[in-house]
This record gives sequence, C-alpha cells and structure tokens, in this order.
Amino acid sequence: MIEQYTITEKYNFPQPTIDTTLPHRFLEQSLNSLKQVQHQPFQLNQQNFQQLNTNEQYSSSIQLKPEPIALKPDLQETLIAAVDSSTIKIGETSTGIIIAVRGAITWRQNRAYKYTRLGPFIFHITEDNKNTVYSTLEHAYFSTSYGDSHQAAPNIMQMPNRLACLLERWLQTMLAKTLNHGVILFDGSLISGTIDTPVQRLKDILSYARRNNSTVLAFSKATTLRANGILITEHLPNHEPPYLLETTGVRFKSPLILLGDVYVARLNKSNLAFRLDIDKETLIEQRMAALKKLIGNDLYTQSYPETLRLSHILCTFTANEVLAIKHFITRKHHIQMINRPDMHRLLFGPFSKGEIYA
Amino acid sequence: MRLYKKEGNILQIISFPIESAEKGDYLLVEDQDAAKALIAQVIDVQFAAVPGVLEELLRTLPDGGEPLQGEDIDPMEIAPHITYIQDASLLICKIRATLENEMLSPSSSWLPSRSQSTIKKLSIPMLLKLAKVEGKLPIILGGTKDSSLLTIDASALDGTLNIITGKKGCGKSHLSKLLMVNLVGYRATVVIFDLNGEYTSLGISNDGKKNMYYDKIHTLTPGQNFKVALEQLHLNTVMGILVNALHLPGTSAREFRRIWKMLKEERKLNMQELGEAIRNLNCNQHVRDALASRFHSLANSGFFTDSSGEATLLDEIILKAKDQGGAIVINLKNTSNIDRQIVVEYALGKLVDSLSNWKLKAVFLFAEEAHLYLRETYWDDIVTRMRHFGIFTTFITNQPDTIQETIYRQADNIFLFNFTNEHDLDVVSRAARVDAETVRSIAHDLPPHHCLTLGKVVSDLPIVARVKALNIKTMGETRLFFKDTS
Repeated sequence: MIEQYTITEKYNFPQPTIDTTLPHRFLEQSLNSLKQVQHQPFQLNQQNFQQLNTNEQYSSSIQLKPEPIALKPDLQETLIAAVDSSTIKIGETSTGIIIAVRGAITWRQNRAYKYTRLGPFIFHITEDNKNTVYSTLEHAYFSTSYGDSHQAAPNIMQMPNRLACLLERWLQTMLAKTLNHGVILFDGSLISGTIDTPVQRLKDILSYARRNNSTVLAFSKATTLRANGILITEHLPNHEPPYLLETTGVRFKSPLILLGDVYVARLNKSNLAFRLDIDKETLIEQRMAALKKLIGNDLYTQSYPETLRLSHILCTFTANEVLAIKHFITRKHHIQMINRPDMHRLLFGPFSKGEIYA
Repeated sequence: MRLYKKEGNILQIISFPIESAEKGDYLLVEDQDAAKALIAQVIDVQFAAVPGVLEELLRTLPDGGEPLQGEDIDPMEIAPHITYIQDASLLICKIRATLENEMLSPSSSWLPSRSQSTIKKLSIPMLLKLAKVEGKLPIILGGTKDSSLLTIDASALDGTLNIITGKKGCGKSHLSKLLMVNLVGYRATVVIFDLNGEYTSLGISNDGKKNMYYDKIHTLTPGQNFKVALEQLHLNTVMGILVNALHLPGTSAREFRRIWKMLKEERKLNMQELGEAIRNLNCNQHVRDALASRFHSLANSGFFTDSSGEATLLDEIILKAKDQGGAIVINLKNTSNIDRQIVVEYALGKLVDSLSNWKLKAVFLFAEEAHLYLRETYWDDIVTRMRHFGIFTTFITNQPDTIQETIYRQADNIFLFNFTNEHDLDVVSRAARVDAETVRSIAHDLPPHHCLTLGKVVSDLPIVARVKALNIKTMGETRLFFKDTS
C-alpha cells in the first residue's frame, strides 16, 4: 500500500498483491490481435486520436457564485498523484486498424516527481475481433456487471479511445485503492453514464478513494459549460488567486450523471482557469483541504497541476515512438508497410487539408 | 542502411545503430536494376533528424529542472526500438566513383533507386581491387580500420610530386622513412635533405644492429664527411650558390665569373687562389667588398676544401646509389641557415647535372621543412623543370602554409596526418586531387600515426591507414628536459 508518510523512496505501484489482470490481458489481447495481421500490408497513419470530451448535454441553468473561495497553500507533505492515458492510430490494414495505447501515473513525493508508465500496448483492431478484444479486457478487471455498457459494440474508429479509457480507469482504480491520505488528479470530468464510463465504475473508483481518505480532483483542460452564455472558465473575478468559484445548477441529460460538484479553479496569476470536478460525496472541508494540499505540494505554473501535466506528457506518443512502433511491428510481426495514396492530396493537391478536415 | 538524399556528389544515408559506419569508411550503394553501383566514402557522421526526439528529451525534465525518475512497464519491449530509432545516424558520404561492369569511373551523374538500392560496407582490399591499386612494386603503408593492409605501388610515386603533412609528432617522418626504405629496396636513388639528422640511422635497427639497408644509406654531413673542392664544381653551380644562397648582385656576379674563368685557365681553382684573386681585384670597391664577404661565407661554411683527399665525390656516391639503389642523406643538423642553402644549392645543382647528363635516370628527393633552405624561385623549378630532369620530390612539413599554393595544385599524392587548426586544413584542401570537405572532416579526427592517403597512389580514393611500424632506430625524438628526472 502507498503510505503517505512512508520513507521509501520508491513508489511501490503496482504492488504484487494488486490484481494486475488487466495489463496481462492487454498484452495477451495485443499479441493475439497482432498475430492476425502478420504478412498483411498496412497503410501508415500519423493521425493522432484526440481523446474527445463527452458531448456535454447539460441544462442551461448553470450559475457561478460570485464570491470566490480563497485558497491558502497547505505545506503539509501530501502525496499528489495523477493519471492519464493516450492512444494513437499507427496505420490501417485491409481489415482494420493498428493502434497503440499507453497509460501513465505520476506523483510528487519528497519534492520530486516520479512516474510509472504502462505500455505501449499495440492492437490490431478489426470488425471481427473488436468485441472480443474489448469485452475480454473489460471483463478481465471490471468483472462487476455495469449494466449494458459492455454489450455495446464499439465502432472500430472509437476503439482506440475506448481502450485508452479502459486502461485509464483501471489505473485510476489502482491508485484509488492504494493511495492513503493523498490527492488523486484525474484528467477530464466526473461525468459518468457514458459508454466507456458506466456510472457504477466511476462510483466505485471514487468510493475506493474516499475509503482511503484520498480526494479525487478532476481537471478538464476544456469545457463547454457556460453561465449566462459565457464559458464558466472565463468568469474570472478580480480577486487574488489561488481561488475557487463554485457553480450551481449543473445538471446533465440522461443517461449522463455527474458524480462531482463543478468548480472553476484559478490557481495562479496566469489568466487561465480550469473546470474542476470534486467528488460529490466528499465533505466540503475535505475538498478544500485537498485543494490546499495540492497547491502546497505541487507546481502549477499555468494554473494547471504539474503532476497532471507530466502524466499527459509522459503517456503521449512522440513521432519517434510512432516510428519505433512501426519498426517493432515490421520486425516482430512481419507486417509490410505500404503507402496508399492520400485521396485528398491526390485529388486536391495543395488545396487538400487532409482527412482530418474532410 | 537506407539511401536518403543525393545532392551533387554528396549522398546522405540513414544508418541504424547495428550498422556501425565511421568517417573514412567506404560504402557500396548498389542498384541492381540499373546494374550499377556508387562507391561513396563517409566523410561525416551526424544524428539523423528523427522527428520527436526533442520532445522525447524534453519530457524527462519537469518544471523543477531535475530529471524525472520513473519506471517503464513495457511488456511488449518497444523501448529498444525507440532507442534504435533515436540513435539512428545520418552518414554524409562523398561519391568517389561509379562501378559498372567491374570498371570504376569517376562519374556521379546517375541516381540510384532510393527504395531498391542496397547499401553495404566496402572493405579496403575489395576497394583497392576494384580500383586496381595493385602493382609489381608493393609498399605496405599500414593497416586500415578493417584490419586489412593498405598497399600502394611504388611506381605510383614515380614521376610524382608528393606532400607529407600533419601536425608535430603525428608520424610524418616515420612515413617518409617507410617510403624511402621501400624505394631503396626497389633500387631507387633517394636523396634526403635531413634537417634534424633523423634519417642518419636508416641503416640501423631498433636493437642497434645493422639492417638490410645499412650499406645503401650514405650519410653526408657538411663540413665533416661532405666537403667539395672548387675544381669539382661547375661554374653554374657556384653561381647558383652565390646568387641564390648568398644574394650576390649582378655586377659582382659578372666579376666573379671573370675571376673563375681566369683561375680555371691557370689551373688555380682553389679557395686560397680565389681569395687571393678577390683581394687583388682591381675594380670598384663595393664589388670587391661584395665578393670578399661572399668568399668569407663560403670559406666559413667549412663545406669547401682545397685538399683533394678531403673532398667528397658526390658523383661517385650517386653512381653507387644508382647501381644498388640507395639513399643519400644530407644531414643538415647543426648547419647554419646560409650554410644549409649553400649545401642544398650545391646538391641540387649536382643532381640536375647528373640527370641532364643521364648519369642518373631519376631521383626521389625528400625535403623536410624545405622552406628553411629552399629559395622561393626553386619551388616552381622543382615541380616543373626539375621534374622533367627526373627529380621527384616529396615535401615533408608540419607548416602546410610554408608550401606554395602552386605546389599543392600540382601535388599528385598527399599523405595527410592530423591537423586541428582550420587554417592548416584550408591550405591543404587547395590541392587539386583533394576535396575540401574530405580534408576538413576526416583529417580533423585522425588519431596519431593515422594517415589519410590521397591522390594517384590510391587511385583518388582517399583511404585512412595506421602507418606501419618500422624496425629502424628512432632519431627524430624531441630532446626533453624532464625525461629522466622522474
């Protein structure tokens, strides 16, 4: 178990006692899927998959409380940990796509940042294997029934995000189960009820964290929530940061359920603020205490926690890594690379803006 | 290795960590469909511009500045592939030739297929075989990086102008000794202007015993075993010494010519009579003084004698060296600047004399730091006029800017050792048979005793070799103060 006051320099995650079924299944499914693509030509692709935000369909009664909640840094040493995942499409085959998925946990302890990266896992996703791959992975860890979500057949193009989300939720679960008296940072919101985040799954993660006296803070890099027609992150009062702005009236249309309360956090003087979701079930005092510990223990040069920024940076695929993955699948799985002509470029020449803008 | 780019005669080749290639290596870029191949030499090794490397390096440094510590759980073992891509290098190669039907041509006008060409390293023996750098008179220069021998043909030094250059202590004299003894071994006549007395022991092995060359090395030390009598000299030789070495003005030279002819007719051509004739000369005071001062220079050099027993018959030594092959080492150590010039003027005059009378077929002249004893007008003379007489010169210097640009332009072979100074490399790169990029890039990184051979001896395919060790007593070592104090 991760102890906040432990003197151990090394962050012992995952512990041998922790169920590591999901990474094993990830590897197993990855290798199985790649076997199916051997000796097939595949089309290179550099297009990055952006992890798209859930389409936030919300009621238009959101209000921001005008009085900011001032925050004072609490310097008591607290372990701050963050999770993020990333996916990229490496290329296409005649039957599907080849993708890579990676997750990262970063934490700040004893004034130093440390990380654990998991992956990359490489999958060949086809119409034939997409259900098997996804459901096997989902069952491998989230064996609890979460309603109908796992029965929904994902679109092949959604699979990269679905697999990345699955890995991210698993990492979040591991962190929530092991971190005591810490602050856990999530990338994104605490909206549940989506196809890849069933309500119960997120509830469970938040509950594990609460049980271990940890607080989950979910930072969204972008939001569509508006109060009086203006983005909530642009309602910045003339007040000395760091502070929080509380919102009221945030409700999402079914089946989406928000498991947190929405705030706007401005952590320093840079003119940036972020949507912050904090677990609804957490006491107000604990919420504020967690935020104070965050700003007392982490860096936030652009009003965004450095731990979370590093998680994102560490799991993102660089061009160099994409080349290495291509090299890996060519060498290890004998997949022949081909360059199919880009129809947009072929037809429209310099007027082509590429598939992504089509 | 994959072909990436061709610009002019420069090829850029992507190389991966397992395919080690270094500066100086040769590559064969083979296009089987075209039935041709390019022979290219690596002149620089750079990091390949792999996209994302900067991000990769930057992301390990968080805002705090200290490197991030962490653990990568990489079950599919992608990390070695990332390192493999990150460490890819870009080889900048100079195209040296095209290989077609087993024949080499200096063309680089065709473009091999980027996708289909195969690239492999070309061993030096194979390169030399393709370039037909073989002959009946092999000289092993040394070993190449791929553990093969670099062998040149002695006949490729015949009729050529050579330069051995590099910074101090990198092995220039060692290479010139190697060339000399091999030429002597092939019965060539070699003359050496030995500035520091380091060639005098060419006939003695490291253990102090006589070696196979002992009887073929003739060391002449001016003033000791190398003296000449005036009656042995031709007027032109003496005039050469007076005008070129001692800067005698024209009017005085005319007067000297008259005195010389008079003494010769009276069969009184010796130093004593010459001095007397000058003293008694009835002419302008300035002319007499000019002649008297030159006479004293000649007399003080100790190089001239009136005793026929003391006089060395250079002709005889030259003939001996001609029959058996041999080296005439003119030891200029402990000789003053003026005396050096006198001796060199005499020796060169005598050589031209012997060659023009066909007493000698040809001679290989090794001139170390020639700027210290060779008059300016002689440079062009040596490489043009004297070359036609059969004097084939090798200049040895650690100051490449002391050799005139015209000499570099006409040099047939250059043996280049390490230079770190850009100015020195710029000077050498003016040679017609050398491309500046090769000189700047390869010579800059040459380790001690490694030589970049350029020119005719290697069929214009520059090759780096470590110069072979010689079993000859070393004499060129610098005298050190602290050597024995420890």
